[in-house]
Amino acid sequence: MQTDGYQVRTGLFEGPLDLLLYLIRKKKMNIMDVRISEITSEYLRYLENRSGLNPSREGDFLMTASTLIYIKSRSLLPRPESLGEDPEESRLLHSLVEYDKVQKIARLLQEKEGGQLLLWRRQEVLEKFESREFELEEVSSFQLAELFLNLVKRGEREKVFYITSKNYSISEKRDEILGMLEREGFIDFAAYVSGLDTIEEILVSFFTLLELVKLRLVVAVQKRLFDSISVWKQPEGEEPRSHGE
Amino acid sequence: MENERDFSTVEDRLAFLEAVLFVSRDPLSPDRLADFLGCGDAAEFSRLIESLEERLALRDRGLQLLRSGGGLQLVTRPDLHEVLKEFFAVRAHSRLTIASLETLSIVAYRQPVTIAEISEMRGVNSVGPVKNLLQKKMIRITGRKKVPGRPALYSTTRDFLKYFGLNDLSELPSLEELTEMFEEKEQPSLFTDSL
Repeated sequence: MQTDGYQVRTGLFEGPLDLLLYLIRKKKMNIMDVRISEITSEYLRYLENRSGLNPSREGDFLMTASTLIYIKSRSLLPRPESLGEDPEESRLLHSLVEYDKVQKIARLLQEKEGGQLLLWRRQEVLEKFESREFELEEVSSFQLAELFLNLVKRGEREKVFYITSKNYSISEKRDEILGMLEREGFIDFAAYVSGLDTIEEILVSFFTLLELVKLRLVVAVQKRLFDSISVWKQPEGEEPRSHGE
Repeated sequence: MENERDFSTVEDRLAFLEAVLFVSRDPLSPDRLADFLGCGDAAEFSRLIESLEERLALRDRGLQLLRSGGGLQLVTRPDLHEVLKEFFAVRAHSRLTIASLETLSIVAYRQPVTIAEISEMRGVNSVGPVKNLLQKKMIRITGRKKVPGRPALYSTTRDFLKYFGLNDLSELPSLEELTEMFEEKEQPSLFTDSL
């Protein structure tokens, strides 16, 4: 087998433009001088054995394949000089030139990222001295779900199983959590969950919390990833905001 | 006398700067520091920062001064990375994917920009990386494009600058400079290959 020269590629191709640029560089051609018809067959060969292609991008790869075949078929037909370059071809070449720049910037950013990762910053300072006032930060449902999985894992370490016939319902949990908030004003969700016996009850509690947040009956705040979730009652007078925001 | 601040000597000022940068979690604005120290003169303040930098370097300290996101910050020396990793039992730092880096590149140079424009330039649908970068607070929505559907326009954030150790976007090379940079880098390997 012929070697690929100095270009060795191990990862997946991001998309059709990525693959095309790779093929062009492999042939040591200048993008502006590329004759699309020349690399079409190589492109199609890659598509056939699918090695190194990002499978979720298959549609994009096929789409470009059809453009390439179209350009190639037209290049085989006699064409009056006056018409100049094939517009499809120049459009594709233009995208390649632009994407080549994007890749260069991305590489530059990746180098900078690598350099920055060597420098450690202070992360935990002032923790102890921070006042009890939390900065309210928006937390995505993904982060909440991640925390939840974390809590489940923590619970799993103490492998104690109870066989219980009790069923938990969201409406019961809802009353319980709202009742607790009424009495205590604040719930540390991690502490609350660690007192529960079964995964099922933890699950139901978590869903209830999400539901209560959605209904804007409570405010849930997680200061950072993997921290506990703090829960308060939705302050009075703060009307649920409209959806348009 | 309420005001007990005494920064009369350079030593006092340097000690304060070192302390405040040590304690702060985020980069501190030079203007705010200069103001607090009563440094009216910008040149005077930058001399101060330079001597702090020199001191850290001269005494073989584990820390160095970094200008990032338009602020000043104390960070560890890069050669200590491996031992810190070992001590804190950190396996690997997470890095951005190629898709995210490409998307960031486009946003940084073309902002404000829509998802459709990003996808067009990358040749693939880019909703995924845009969502990922939004979550990482590297980009944010800064408006809506006045075209049908009013798609959101995205721009880079200060966190983006901090993450890559940039002070502002002008520190990124222009597109012309970029082409030259990589040509210089790639030519030697082309030569060795042809030999």
